[in-house]
Amino acid sequence: MTVFGGRIGLFLWMLAIAAAIVAPLVFTGGVSRNLAILALLFAVVASNWDLTLGYAGIFNFAHVAFFGIGGYVSAIATIHFGIPIWLDILLAVAFVAVLAAVTAALAVRLRGIYVALVTFAFVQLCVALIISQKWLTGGAVGLVGVPDLELFGFRFGSSAMSYFYLAEALLIGSTLFLRWLVRSDFGLSLVALRDNEAYAVSRGMSATRQRVLAMVASSLFTSAAGAVYAHYLIVASPDVFSFSLTTLILSMVLLGGTATIFGPIVAAIALTVVTEQLASFGVVRFMIIAVLIVLTLRFVPGGLWSLGEIFTARRGAKGEESAR
Amino acid sequence: MGAVIVAGLVSGSIYALIASGLSLVWGALGVFNFAHGALLMVGAFVAWWVSDPAGLGLGLFAGILACMIFMVAAGAVLYVLLVRPWIGTPAVELTVIMTTVAGAMFLENLALLIFGARLKALDQVVTGTVKIAGTAMQAQNLLVIILAPVLLGALALFLKLSKHGLAIRAIAQNDEAARLLGIRVEVTYLVTFAVSALLAGVAGVMIGGLFNITPSMGNEPLLRAFLVVVFGGLGSLPGTIIAAYLIGLIEAASSYYIGIYWTPVALFTVLIVILLVRPNGLLGRSA
Repeated sequence: MTVFGGRIGLFLWMLAIAAAIVAPLVFTGGVSRNLAILALLFAVVASNWDLTLGYAGIFNFAHVAFFGIGGYVSAIATIHFGIPIWLDILLAVAFVAVLAAVTAALAVRLRGIYVALVTFAFVQLCVALIISQKWLTGGAVGLVGVPDLELFGFRFGSSAMSYFYLAEALLIGSTLFLRWLVRSDFGLSLVALRDNEAYAVSRGMSATRQRVLAMVASSLFTSAAGAVYAHYLIVASPDVFSFSLTTLILSMVLLGGTATIFGPIVAAIALTVVTEQLASFGVVRFMIIAVLIVLTLRFVPGGLWSLGEIFTARRGAKGEESAR
Repeated sequence: MGAVIVAGLVSGSIYALIASGLSLVWGALGVFNFAHGALLMVGAFVAWWVSDPAGLGLGLFAGILACMIFMVAAGAVLYVLLVRPWIGTPAVELTVIMTTVAGAMFLENLALLIFGARLKALDQVVTGTVKIAGTAMQAQNLLVIILAPVLLGALALFLKLSKHGLAIRAIAQNDEAARLLGIRVEVTYLVTFAVSALLAGVAGVMIGGLFNITPSMGNEPLLRAFLVVVFGGLGSLPGTIIAAYLIGLIEAASSYYIGIYWTPVALFTVLIVILLVRPNGLLGRSA
């Protein structure tokens, strides 16, 4: 059963597109628009993480660091080396892709939990380097002054709506890419390696090569989102490497449902909104979110997306019965 | 030189206590407790609240005792709420990472809510400085250096001699055979978590006496403990302890000689080299 094949799927797609066009008109306030842009960028990060975590089964805890490093490459390229905008985003994507390949080549030699620990340590290394190399990265304060994006003389900063559309375009591009990837032979081979590595390898797949490629693929749109984030906020800050952001995005992936791509996107948007709605609760909101995470994992282990799938499956079954 | 060794031994002792708890849980249950750092923080806060005049004011020893009792209970509760429901499910490794991350998030913010972000410190068990072989150090440092091996020795004896300890090791070696021999796996898992939490609590009291108590105090030591268990090989207690002291000493030496900012770089380089040569850690079991 595919949610986006068939008539229901077409309807959902049209609904999503309609929402995408109308949304910026709804989010007229600065705060809610800022929130919407964050939600879209986090959705990119979360859904790409789902490729490695959900489909390939790699515990890559450096994923959010790809987002952060993307921002830093973009900031350093434009501020220190005067590289033109847009080109710096490409540079960030290329740089992070190489970095992801190297990290992956080292990490996939290890098994399950060791990958998590080593990639975790890798993030710490990044933070330590960024904070220590103050002349290059601005240290703990971050690198301020990332130039605004500009297209044919139109400055994006002059209307916050443009960043919204850019983030939206990024999310749509990333989603199409991910859905295409996971349904391709390559995606199937990742699932095969995840579910039965010995058998997949015996059928001639290279576990190392496929997993390294998966990490690189997951880094592409993530680092682009990081670069756009830096342009949007005008600053690349070491805060993005914090444990709490990794926790937040990981909870998006798991609450949404792993190995679905759509689940993490929905959860990213929902969680960003819920976090904001609970803002008046102060620190208690994080406690509420923690409880929600545990309850979801306990009672809806497939994530929120699986609820939707159960629902549409029932509808589909009923429809078939009545047709008969 | 002397100061570097002292600093290295102190951090090594603390890392050994933290990492051996992680390693123990990994060995028996095959899950990784990301809330271990938060447990350490909870232990420090309990000891502070019971002992400090701003809390109950019962004195340091009552505080430490309360902390130890509380930690045993906290470890058991953590296991029941965040680990037990997922034991035996296919993605247990990943799910428990997530539930314990959520648990850590909960505890950290709870501490922030109750105690606020202001720095607190525990009284030191012993005060003053002592001088050994020409190196002056805080007496508390010396106590940590002496106490950690004693506690780790007690842990080793517990694992070697006591019924529960033997059960933990039996399960780590062969879960099914242990069940067949009538070991109550559920109870043993609970005991493992309780012991692990107790070790974290002791480490928390040590850190609280040497540095500050804050809601996020557990994060740094936990990350170091990650390095330690990777170095030493998860599930191997001797490997973990050797690695803990090694990392403590490397860290102290590199902070002193090449600067504090390069310490993580040095540690990470050593880590990569070790993992390239021995993917299961220094003394880790092969897959």
